[in-house]
Amino acid sequence: MDAFYASVEQRDTPSLRGQPVAVGGQPDKRGVVAAASYEARAFGVHSAMSMVKAVRLCPSLVIVPPDFSRYKAASNAVFSIFREVTPLVEPLSLDEAYLDVTENLWGETLGTAVAKRLKARIRAETQLTASAGVAPNKFLAKIASGWKKPDGLTVISPERVEPFLQQLPVDALWGVGPVTAKKLRARGIDRLVDVRSADVETLRDTVGSLADWLRQLANGVDDRPVVPNREVKSSGSENTYPADLTDLDTIRAEIAEMAAHAISWLARKELLARTVTIKVRYSDFTTITRSHSAAPSRDETDLTARAVRLLEKTDAGRRPVRLLGVSVHNFCSAADDDRLPFGERNAE
Amino acid sequence: MELVVRKNDLLRELQLFQGIVERKNTIPILANVLMEAKGDEVRFLATDLEVGLRSQCAAAVAKGGALTLPAKKFYEIVKSLPETDIRIAEDKGGVKVAADRFDSRMQTLPREDFPTLPEHAGTSGAPRATLPRAAVKEMVAKTAFAITGEDTRYFLNGALFVLRPDEMSLVATDGHRLALVTVARGGGAAERGGGEDEVKAILPKKTLGELSRLLQEGDADIQYERGENHLFFDVGGRLLISRMIDGQFPAYERVIPKGNDKKIEFERDRLTSAVKRVALLSNERSRAVKFQIENGRVDVTSSSPDLGEAKETLPIEFTGSPMQICFNAQYVLDFLSAVSTDVVSLELKDEVSQAVMKPVGAEGYDYTYVIMPMRV
Repeated sequence: MDAFYASVEQRDTPSLRGQPVAVGGQPDKRGVVAAASYEARAFGVHSAMSMVKAVRLCPSLVIVPPDFSRYKAASNAVFSIFREVTPLVEPLSLDEAYLDVTENLWGETLGTAVAKRLKARIRAETQLTASAGVAPNKFLAKIASGWKKPDGLTVISPERVEPFLQQLPVDALWGVGPVTAKKLRARGIDRLVDVRSADVETLRDTVGSLADWLRQLANGVDDRPVVPNREVKSSGSENTYPADLTDLDTIRAEIAEMAAHAISWLARKELLARTVTIKVRYSDFTTITRSHSAAPSRDETDLTARAVRLLEKTDAGRRPVRLLGVSVHNFCSAADDDRLPFGERNAE
Repeated sequence: MELVVRKNDLLRELQLFQGIVERKNTIPILANVLMEAKGDEVRFLATDLEVGLRSQCAAAVAKGGALTLPAKKFYEIVKSLPETDIRIAEDKGGVKVAADRFDSRMQTLPREDFPTLPEHAGTSGAPRATLPRAAVKEMVAKTAFAITGEDTRYFLNGALFVLRPDEMSLVATDGHRLALVTVARGGGAAERGGGEDEVKAILPKKTLGELSRLLQEGDADIQYERGENHLFFDVGGRLLISRMIDGQFPAYERVIPKGNDKKIEFERDRLTSAVKRVALLSNERSRAVKFQIENGRVDVTSSSPDLGEAKETLPIEFTGSPMQICFNAQYVLDFLSAVSTDVVSLELKDEVSQAVMKPVGAEGYDYTYVIMPMRV
């Protein structure tokens, strides 16, 4: 979906149409841009930017507080259109998904035709625009979907894969951020196809375990299937405070509340978590995480106590705290947990 | 090959092969049954390379020979024919099956392509024994359901058969629950231990299914033989040949608890109905039902965040401090439908340790069913 949250706001509030809009928190409350309309993007505003900076770039910016219930509703509408085409829908976020349309319920033989119909259906049902990428595999489809926005449709047919790869910079890939890209460029790897001729050892020294994966992608190879209902690996929340927290009791209470939130999520999903993690960002933006693992649990007293105890391994209370977060990981279901204790040999 | 056989004789044998032949059709000839006519009988053989079956029936053989034809189609045709004589004759790379005014011709596959199977242990010292039919039937029915069938730990895809001089056991587990049946037996004269006190073998799930099918009719005992890689079960002249699962079965004795001091008895029917009803509102994924036990009563409860909750109270004889324990409803129901006694017992230690269920007053066999509780 194009500028999803901002587009929903512009759709629902006509006065916002044509205006530079940013969804997020207020600059004086240390807000962050969650989404920017295309009008705002023209000023250089983009998501994850601090709102202070966004306003500096675009003084006429209209800041709208997020309303996730409406975004969720729009997302549900879009995903039910996806599922009309195929059950093989792999969500990446509220507004982005992979669809395997090799065989589809619409009986279309061409992926391009599916994409056109999807875009038209989404526009008709939600008055929102989407950009689509059609390609033989996931990594190319992902890049293609971002190639032309908004309202774009980019098709990479099998015979166009090679010319397309030739023009990609190495940081076009998911997983290659600015830091990795810089390291690769320092070794003369500028374009994705340069990876093909790069020395394996050099590559491994530069990007570690990513090397083999990168080499595959450089050759246009990506066999990952589209996996519907991908399992959630973690859940949690974090909060940036309008003013730094210095009082340890307040910090403890905040952590306990976020832990309770994670535990109610576990209960809804009927999952147990082995690991609880807290995140602390100090006023100087240094960010640390601390984790504790134990037997699987979703006991409120137990998990909350573990989360709060992790604060002892931080400087919270001694240093001002800007952001706190709590998350739970390493899930197992109650059913996975009821294993007979055969002992080490068969424990697996 | 040319022969005449009575419809009912042929049908009775062919239906035993329907579960044996390979259904996935990866190797075409494994969907076929091998027919060999000689003397005054026709012999059959089919296999999916895991389990094989050899049997025969009387026939008037005009001309001996061998061929293979699709087991399923052959069976369907024979089944559809009236009760009469069936004429079977080889016909230029095919086979004619005819009866009355019906005529058919089916494709065959070359007899040479049919896999060869061992039909006995091969070595004269291999362990062998006579197994009482009723006891084996009982053992299979009470354990086979606990095999997962699709576990990556391949040794759990079968049941362990342990033969001792005075008793035999069959044990199966999917890692969450375990079923063990032990039956006393007297060793016969033809018995050989092959130099072992305990003759062990892991039987594939499919073997157990086919074995119980063979045991459905007749009254002959089973001649059992364990070869190097295969097991042989001769049931009244029909021979079931099974691959043996190679691997180490888990140390099952280790998970059977000894010190479960809290014992509750239930009327089997009432417990079955209660668990079935309450499980309707259990979480669809975990299927958890909780037993809340206190003086004189058990509340069987369930709850599901999406659906709601349910409770049924059963009166019991119990004194002690209250406790609660959670099980997968399916595991409990599997046990309850496998036993036939009026009363069953549940033996517990605490909320997190293995529970044991047993039929109360069962005669002729000892049945222990271990369930790991869920932590909820």
